[in-house]
Amino acid sequence: MTSTLTPAPNRTRSGLALGRLARRPEAGSFLGLVAVLLFFGLFGGSAFTSAAGTASWLNIASEIGIIALPIGLLMIAGELDISVGAVIPAASLTAAIISGHYGLPDWLGITAALGLGLAVGFLNGLLVTRTTIPSLIITIGTMFLTMGLTLGLTVKIAGSTGVSLVPDPLTKAIFGDYLGGMFQVTILWWVVFVIGLFWLLHISPMGNWIYALGGDKESARNVGIPTKRLTIGLFMLSGFSAAFVGVSEVMVYQSAQVLAGQSFIFNSIMCVVIGGVLLTGGFGSIVGIVFGTITFSIVNQGIYFTSMDPNIGSVIIGALLLIAVLTNDTFRQLALSYSSKKGPQS
Amino acid sequence: MKLFKTLVSTAVLIGFSAGATLAANIFVVGGKPDDPFWSIVKRGAEDAGKVVEAQGGKVTWLGPQNYDNLGVDAAELIRQAIDQKADAIVGPDWVPEAMDPAFKAVRDAGIPLIIYNAGGLKAADRLGAMNYVGSDDYKGGVAAGEYLTKAGNKKGVCINTLPGAANIEAFCGGFKEGMKNGGGEADVLPLPATSFGSATAVAQAVKAYLLQHQDVNAVFTIGNVDANSAMNGLTQAGKVGKVQLCGMNFDETILNNIKDGKQACAIDQQGYLQGYLAVAILNGHVNYGLAVPTREILTGPGIIDKTNVDATIAGVKAGTR
Repeated sequence: MTSTLTPAPNRTRSGLALGRLARRPEAGSFLGLVAVLLFFGLFGGSAFTSAAGTASWLNIASEIGIIALPIGLLMIAGELDISVGAVIPAASLTAAIISGHYGLPDWLGITAALGLGLAVGFLNGLLVTRTTIPSLIITIGTMFLTMGLTLGLTVKIAGSTGVSLVPDPLTKAIFGDYLGGMFQVTILWWVVFVIGLFWLLHISPMGNWIYALGGDKESARNVGIPTKRLTIGLFMLSGFSAAFVGVSEVMVYQSAQVLAGQSFIFNSIMCVVIGGVLLTGGFGSIVGIVFGTITFSIVNQGIYFTSMDPNIGSVIIGALLLIAVLTNDTFRQLALSYSSKKGPQS
Repeated sequence: MKLFKTLVSTAVLIGFSAGATLAANIFVVGGKPDDPFWSIVKRGAEDAGKVVEAQGGKVTWLGPQNYDNLGVDAAELIRQAIDQKADAIVGPDWVPEAMDPAFKAVRDAGIPLIIYNAGGLKAADRLGAMNYVGSDDYKGGVAAGEYLTKAGNKKGVCINTLPGAANIEAFCGGFKEGMKNGGGEADVLPLPATSFGSATAVAQAVKAYLLQHQDVNAVFTIGNVDANSAMNGLTQAGKVGKVQLCGMNFDETILNNIKDGKQACAIDQQGYLQGYLAVAILNGHVNYGLAVPTREILTGPGIIDKTNVDATIAGVKAGTR
């Protein structure tokens, strides 16, 4: 499978344009997004559509989104990263211990935290490229390693499982402030990540390498793509992004907890899958992942705005995931058979 | 190794003191000394131990090296205390299945026993202990509910971030009853598993709930982490001053929020008193035959609010809270 955003040659028939649209990986997830927006817009009332209601799902989306993007790239390249769930609290606590417990400058804590994310990512990438063990297993291993070290060292150094940190006004403004009193600055950072990774996947030549990696690793290597360096780079990217979220969480909430972050593992994978990325690799897009993240966050938050029983909230999230995957699948089948009948692949 | 040394030195001490006086040799079984909660309990036991020592006795803290095999390790510590010829023993009934036989051995040896921290009066009765000294989860929730209704809040919500856990359900159940006692009412907001451990998800859930339920003016959280997240959600919803927040346990941030008037109260199980009272009661009993007729001595819920927050902060610095 080749890059799905390669501009197709000019075609005159409008039917083909529609087919091209439907063949985009984000087509299915876009419909899903529209559906949940309509649903919660209707049943969530004015509180959901107000600025505060919008901020409530955007804040959630921004944090998951920053992690879902590199996870999506990894999945397109045919890999998984579970360790992000442990890197988030590890980064939060690294920053909190250095800048809060020891009172050193904020930039030092932030640099160390981000460096830690890169290091875990590097270790993941190294192990994945040097062994034949699937990345799922490797990153589960590094997740527990990171988790244990975080707990052990935090208790040893700070004497408790939570460390607080009061950031400088400047650091707070960059990472942990609220715009208009309700929109986390993380949302802007998410936009930065989206633009950067959109460029990486869809404009830079590396994008095609990532698709090729997920399509067929062997042939990718044979055509001269530096698959090992690329894989390590992608894992470092996801480690960095997880650490980034950890840092911004500690700046927003001014305290870091050992127990945080677990929910991000499945939530980010869910966002990516809802966004139309294939678990088997080689197929997906940045726009799709963004749609998936927004859809997931709206459902997660929207439940509180409806009169639905929150006890069964998880049922709706689970059902959404299955429906999303089914529609994505149907769409892809339809689109692929449609284009192959009508003419040569672009 | 340290534990072993303590045991040896204690044994030597007993050897010297045996028969000399009636002084109480009290053993306290508890958590790891570097555990933030247990270090406070230990401090209470040690402070009561100053009186014990002044009367010629001794208090020995026995804690496990880790929590990997808690029930069995703690049962082993109880038996060690018996072997060291303890005059009185204090212990928590964490894992009844593993620990009850050891506690029964204490009773069979005729050693006065107090159950503290976990197990409740039921365990004390079952094991033939003198008393139970500890907190009660359900009553912790009740105290929060009654406090908030007294402050004029009639509609509350308990933010349950761990639906299904027994102690958490007890917090929320108690809160509902406490609100009802004060003439109000309360609901429980259970969060889906996708929110656990994410401060943003908890904050946004609280915010969404408050926006949707404009009449709610009391929020109760089940732990210090959630209290901070809820505070954040409350602020974002523009409800500071309109909605009052109370939560189980506390940390530095929460105490500062209480001081600034942003958070109404925090509920504490007051671990210091658990160690202090258990040791003091047993010392009086062994030395002078004293007994406290009140059964089930509750050390919690203790309420921290504006009136005692400064003393609490001083206690945190002194290692007693």
